[in-house]
Amino acid sequence: MEAGRLDQVVEKEIYVSVGPQHSGAGHFRMVLKLDGDIIVDVIPDPGFVHRSVEKIAENMLYVQIVPLVEKVTHVDASNLAMGYVRAVEELSGIQVPERAKYLRTIACELSRITSHLYFFGIFGIFLNHSTMFMWSFGDRDLFLDLTQLLTGTRIAHSYILAGGVRHDMPQDFPDKAMKVLDYFERKLEDYYKIFMLNPVMIERTRGVGVLSREDAIRLGATGPVLRASGVRYDTRKDDPYAAYDKIDFEIPVYKEGDSYARVMVRFREMQESVKIIRQALRDMPEGPVRPKRMVPRWPVKKGEHYARVEAARGELGYYIISDGKAKPYRLKMSSPSFRNLLILKHLLRGETLADMPAIYMSLDYWAPEADR
Amino acid sequence: MDGGVYFGRLSRVVEALRRFAGKTVEFDPIRRLVNWGRLYSLWPVHVTTSCCSVALGAGMGARFDYERFGVLPFGSLRQNDLIIIEGTLTYKFAKRIRRIYDQMPEPKYVIAIGACALSGGIFRDAYSIVKDVSKVVPVDVFVPGCPPRPEALGRAVMLLQEKIRRSKVSGEPIETPIVVR
Ligand code: SF4
Repeated sequence: MEAGRLDQVVEKEIYVSVGPQHSGAGHFRMVLKLDGDIIVDVIPDPGFVHRSVEKIAENMLYVQIVPLVEKVTHVDASNLAMGYVRAVEELSGIQVPERAKYLRTIACELSRITSHLYFFGIFGIFLNHSTMFMWSFGDRDLFLDLTQLLTGTRIAHSYILAGGVRHDMPQDFPDKAMKVLDYFERKLEDYYKIFMLNPVMIERTRGVGVLSREDAIRLGATGPVLRASGVRYDTRKDDPYAAYDKIDFEIPVYKEGDSYARVMVRFREMQESVKIIRQALRDMPEGPVRPKRMVPRWPVKKGEHYARVEAARGELGYYIISDGKAKPYRLKMSSPSFRNLLILKHLLRGETLADMPAIYMSLDYWAPEADR
Repeated sequence: MDGGVYFGRLSRVVEALRRFAGKTVEFDPIRRLVNWGRLYSLWPVHVTTSCCSVALGAGMGARFDYERFGVLPFGSLRQNDLIIIEGTLTYKFAKRIRRIYDQMPEPKYVIAIGACALSGGIFRDAYSIVKDVSKVVPVDVFVPGCPPRPEALGRAVMLLQEKIRRSKVSGEPIETPIVVR
């Protein structure tokens, strides 16, 4: 063929495939339709981590499903288990001791902090801010140590079971937790100075990927994404579970709806989580944490039920249909990442390619959760 | 060799030289030097197949810091020599992993972590996953665990370095995979 002549070049839209082998996409692929530098359309291609969790669950005992659903969002394990256990408990009217509720709250909030720190590390590295990555992953290890002390493992806890929690906390847990929380609160101020006030960070995220309040509601956004658009909605307040109704905490809400606000919501949520853990440790009553005998076969009644919790990425729902047997008839998950994926398309249209990471990452998309 | 058509005799000389060089590098001081160069530049591909990536993320962080061993995730495939397969490999992903593997230059190594990569783990009944990763790419080191602790992954890297130290420069025969215990 003849070498390209300039007058023959036709300006047209091109397709750029991002992921799955890409430092910017994780286990996810999207095809961007570009006109020059402007993104005209996005074709998301999820499903790389579809592991048929819902189908496997139909062949498992109720107690075996706890570690299974935790695998869906590993950075946020306790919240995932909490939602499932809540659905089972409310379906069959299982009572939970008061102390167990507080322990659940602590486990959930530890989970939320580790998940948000993971987000901060990854978001930092995306904006080429490797200090943030090193700091938040270093501090995340402190919280993983705490989780290990409380539950026995770093990441996959299986701590929350129907009827309570697996075991009480060790005696030195409150002291160690207080030390870490004190340190972390001081450290959060440094985070604010070095990351949130960083000119590069502000320049790249302020006013980028704006999601208006109406669109957030119309498209079904959830979690920090929704709260960054000015909607005060949090399952912990609106439909309380565990000990959240007895604990005093705020829900950070921002009006801007841009990437910066989404990051800021998570930052403030970590501060609130620290407060929640402090209060839970202070107010925790004495008493048992689980029934005397834990049976592998949970007494689940016949019927169907939907329950939801606030996971780190947003509202997470479980729908269980039980026919009274040892295994569920059907388990359906509604995961926040998948709901936020729908917004991605809306947000990316009309933005430049260079802004893509700042928008995509600010949704905190976790592919195994969306694909399940 | 392509040059053979034009330089009949010369190509034979080049071929002989090449064979000679191939043999010489296998002798000790040179072999050691080459392997030493490979040991501390194990750059993994930026690809995360599943939730075991949490362990890798922690390993890259401040406490475990695999960069001590020369492990630094790198964007371009042409400079990578290590794939870390993090857990479950779905059929959809397996095609991509094979393609990534084929695009990488020699020598290349594979570490597979997580119970899912070994046998399917908790997802062994799933209809959409590859139960044994070594059917897709040849695996050098397996790390069990769900997820493995970052220390275990660090040990896998050290075992892989041990293996490279012993191996031939041409790296031809792949030994049986090591399993971290
Ligand atoms: S081994 Fe466990 S942590 Fe790793 S991918 Fe499988 S389920 Fe996830």
